[in-house]
Amino acid sequence: MTAMTKVKGLATAASFAATLLVGGVTYASAEEVTLTMAVPDWPPTRIMKKFFDEQYKPKSGNTVKLDVDFIPWPDFYTRVNASLTSGEKKYNFIVSDSQWLGAFVEGGYFRKINDLIDADPELKATMESMHPAVLNAYSTYPNSTPNYYGFPQFPDVLVTYGRKDVLCNDDEQAAFKAKYNEKLPCTGEEIDAMDWNTFEHVGEFFQRKKGDKLAGQVLDDDFYGIAYQAGKGYDFSTSSVHTFVWEHGGGIWDETKAPTGHAEGVVNSPKSIEGMEHFLKLLKYMPPVVKTGTMDIFVSDQLFREGKVAMNIDWIGLGEASLDPKTSKVADKLVFGLAPGLRGPDGKVNRTSQIGGQPFVLTTWTTPEQIKEAVGFVKWWLSPDIQNQFAAAGGQSAIKSVYSDPKYVTYRPWDRAWANSLDWQKDMWHVPQFFELLTQQQDQYDLAITGKQDAKTTLDNIAKFQEDLLKNAGLIQ
Amino acid sequence: MAESILGKFGFGRASGVDKAGWGRTLAVAVVAFIYFLPVLFIIFTAFKPQGDALLVPPTLSPTSLFGLIPDHFVFKPTLENFGSVFSRSMTPDGAPEATGFDRYFFNSIFIASASVLLALVIGTLAAFGFSRYPLKGNDTYLFIILTTRMLPAIVVIIPVILMFRVVGLSGSYLGIIMLYTAFNLAFTIWMMKSFFDELSPDVEDAARIDGSSGMRVFFKICLPQVIAGLAATFVFGLILTWNEFLFALLLSGPDTRTVPVAMNQAVSSGGRGTDWTLLAAIETLFLVPVFLVTFFLQNHLLRGVTFGTVKR
Amino acid sequence: MTAVSSTLLTPRLTAVVAHNWKLAIAVAVVVSAISMAGLPAAVSFWVVGAAAALVAAAFTVNAYRRHYFGALLVAPAIAVLFVMNIFPLLWSLGLSFFAYQANQQTIRFVGLGNYVRILTNDLAAHATWGALINTAMFVVFTVSAQMIVGFLLAILFAKQFPLRKYLLILVLTPMMLSVVASGVFFTYYYDPTFGILSYVINSISGNQFILMSNKVGAVAGIVFADAWMWSPFVMLLVLAGLVSVPKYLYEAAAIDRISSWRQFWMITFPYIRGLLMLALLFRTIEAFKLADLVILLTKGGNDTLTISYHLIRIANEQNKTSEGAAISYLMLFMVIVLTNLYLYLANRRTKGA
Repeated sequence: MTAMTKVKGLATAASFAATLLVGGVTYASAEEVTLTMAVPDWPPTRIMKKFFDEQYKPKSGNTVKLDVDFIPWPDFYTRVNASLTSGEKKYNFIVSDSQWLGAFVEGGYFRKINDLIDADPELKATMESMHPAVLNAYSTYPNSTPNYYGFPQFPDVLVTYGRKDVLCNDDEQAAFKAKYNEKLPCTGEEIDAMDWNTFEHVGEFFQRKKGDKLAGQVLDDDFYGIAYQAGKGYDFSTSSVHTFVWEHGGGIWDETKAPTGHAEGVVNSPKSIEGMEHFLKLLKYMPPVVKTGTMDIFVSDQLFREGKVAMNIDWIGLGEASLDPKTSKVADKLVFGLAPGLRGPDGKVNRTSQIGGQPFVLTTWTTPEQIKEAVGFVKWWLSPDIQNQFAAAGGQSAIKSVYSDPKYVTYRPWDRAWANSLDWQKDMWHVPQFFELLTQQQDQYDLAITGKQDAKTTLDNIAKFQEDLLKNAGLIQ
Repeated sequence: MAESILGKFGFGRASGVDKAGWGRTLAVAVVAFIYFLPVLFIIFTAFKPQGDALLVPPTLSPTSLFGLIPDHFVFKPTLENFGSVFSRSMTPDGAPEATGFDRYFFNSIFIASASVLLALVIGTLAAFGFSRYPLKGNDTYLFIILTTRMLPAIVVIIPVILMFRVVGLSGSYLGIIMLYTAFNLAFTIWMMKSFFDELSPDVEDAARIDGSSGMRVFFKICLPQVIAGLAATFVFGLILTWNEFLFALLLSGPDTRTVPVAMNQAVSSGGRGTDWTLLAAIETLFLVPVFLVTFFLQNHLLRGVTFGTVKR
Repeated sequence: MTAVSSTLLTPRLTAVVAHNWKLAIAVAVVVSAISMAGLPAAVSFWVVGAAAALVAAAFTVNAYRRHYFGALLVAPAIAVLFVMNIFPLLWSLGLSFFAYQANQQTIRFVGLGNYVRILTNDLAAHATWGALINTAMFVVFTVSAQMIVGFLLAILFAKQFPLRKYLLILVLTPMMLSVVASGVFFTYYYDPTFGILSYVINSISGNQFILMSNKVGAVAGIVFADAWMWSPFVMLLVLAGLVSVPKYLYEAAAIDRISSWRQFWMITFPYIRGLLMLALLFRTIEAFKLADLVILLTKGGNDTLTISYHLIRIANEQNKTSEGAAISYLMLFMVIVLTNLYLYLANRRTKGA
């Protein structure tokens, strides 16, 4: 083989591969447009796909195909991140946790949608019909600025799951009253009015050993009063600690105040420490798995469904499993209410909470043809009719006209807590350094949760780390 | 002559394995059973009704063994979970729909067997080359090949994804098969080279003097003697490839997804944590093919892995 | 056969002939370096690929002209490894000298900056060293547990007895399980509320037992699960060695009344040494990469963060691609030193004996 044939061979191979590449990209034709979507595999996204297949008729007259890649939740980020950062350009729509926005916006992967909103009055009206807390959390980067990126897929909040049979039992009610001189919350309304002190009392009160009596029956296993996420994985202690820090008047590093805001002195302010200490105080009433640092939202949910705890604070998104007798031993004993808050000296309950749920976003390589259809799809998805159907099938809606409709609360037992919770939801950081902030914070919280260091040391360490990191990133002056 | 060669390598030769009686069987059975218990528990979980998975104390047996096991340790076996692997409702109150697991099982079987066989062919050739025609710095090459197993997959994944996209292999069978082939080569070459090193050179030399070509010597004389080694390497390669997760997650498309990736559906299933019975059912089904292959090849495994020192 | 070959002289470095692989390598390295530094990723990818093909072609022509059958036999394996493994490895080696984050498309040459950072920077180095120490601990514990348990199991099976085949497959099964499934089930076995372990110990002691609540317990839990899964691998290799010892050697030893201990060292051990070494090599390499079990069982809590899990956080979650590449090359360096040490010691033993 001479050098010349070698070169020719290479050139042929290259052009062949180039054909493959170009051939592999789906060009949107006038008749058929395919939108490829990466979503976590769970009911809210399955419902969306089902509605689309059954009901969606594009107004443009084109045939629109929604090609959905269902990826198991535990690997969702890894898969999406690898796809985006490798430049694969595979997906047009991506369901994204709100905190990932910054990282992928800065990299040029997520498409800003302000121009689409401005150009389309209907879309603008749709965006304006959303609850502002949800809009801020799911759509804006930098957080709470008018730069929009996402549409809600499944909005979510923390609520209290309770067991009626235990909470409403007359003997337990009487004993609780005698011990704490207050009423043991039993109905949804009573749980709504509950503050952290009462929640703590419930925890202390219901710690029972095997052989003790619970609601008149002898227990064949240990029983606990309360459960609340305090795990090392992902954001499974950040979500709860932030809530306490905010309610006690402390703070996290606030990106809306960048670059003049600081981490030092805010993250570890006396009020923040007080909040964290309050949270740590509750842990001793929780099931023993909390001491391993692995009590995440799924573990506490599982304990609740297996009937091992009286109350659990968890996302609405996990509710369906509690309701289904096949997966829940407490399916017929459920009561739901707001997540507790901190009662101030004036007697009012002050609440702030970490928001959950996910938006979906458009990617930058989506073609104009696809964008046209994508906007059509989004308007359809966020239309009151479809959102109502979604809520009826087990989803949640952040569209005002939908959740304020009286029939909304009839869909699911936790829906009574939904609309009221929205007002005090806040989100953590949307900056590209999100994962660095989160990982270090989770590591530190874990040390505190498993009893290896106190709240002050923990928050001092976090504040120092964040101050350094964000200074280097130019986000703190 | 073939007789004497085979004899030399342990086929039909009296090896150091003594016979032992039922006493040994009993002793080993106890150890093996205890060792197998965690697997047995997973298999039993696959047969439990969904609500029984987390009972305290756990249910341990599908039968009371004529009253030997107290009732609260006994569960009522069901096949429902195996049905759920292939078809179940994905939305609250929704009708059962296909989960695609039939496809995933096919993918796993196809991808694993194709890549392990390919690695076996390419790797055996290379091992023979390394063993019979040592190059200058042979050991260094071998060691470099070994180093390809040393880095965590996450490091090479970005260039690989990029490469796959550029040449259009993303999400295709060919791409993942080639990747697994490379993944298996290091082990295949090291194993098979050890086998070839052990063979006596006499017969080969005689054949060469008779004028047989290198290829003829390889196919007619060397290969028949290492069939057992091929079986052993195949089993090890299969076990490692069968359960590979990260490459499969990142490089497969919805149509080429393998079972270990899809299995995580059951780890976080439908807006809650682990669906224990479903996970156990998937794992139990997933165990069957590799279990059977190993079982049928284990005679070869034992008879065949007779190689000497690792030379460097 | 190999002797027939060298009628062909090695060409001078500068000679432009098809079999001049040295020139091909030189050109390939220079071109690749320039294109990786200067061109967009998608273009430089093709350039580097073409350079690699050039080298491969030169090698093949060279081998063919010289009748290097060895090289021809090895070529397909090298080609596959090069494209699927070595090329990506070199790519990430290159990245480790740049400041590059996969999710932010700027790139800047920093030389050894990443290595200096992960080894000396206040925050980064602390994590690196902590993770390395933990990894060393896991390598020692898991590998020695696997070697010991695997060896003992092999001795149990090194006799012909009824039903041996059926009992053997039971012991082999753990390594056939997917790590995800067995890891998730170990979280269940260790769970203080639902798990069997705590149930048994609670009923005996009457106190709440929580295995994973401190470092000793967490490490023990991970090591147990890993050793349980992979001891069969060691067992199978050792067993293969044990059954291959010719019987006449033992018979001779019996006649000479050699003690069974000496019998083991003089007769059995030489037959299994190579296999033990192979098992040790591959298990050590895998133990260095231990991450999935840690993620499933502790998420790195109780000071069980391993270097491989640390790397996943850095390279995947935080997208610090080049820092991740530097960490992985640090890892690679350590594994290479360790495995070479094994091989060196093994070979010295062989020669000394």
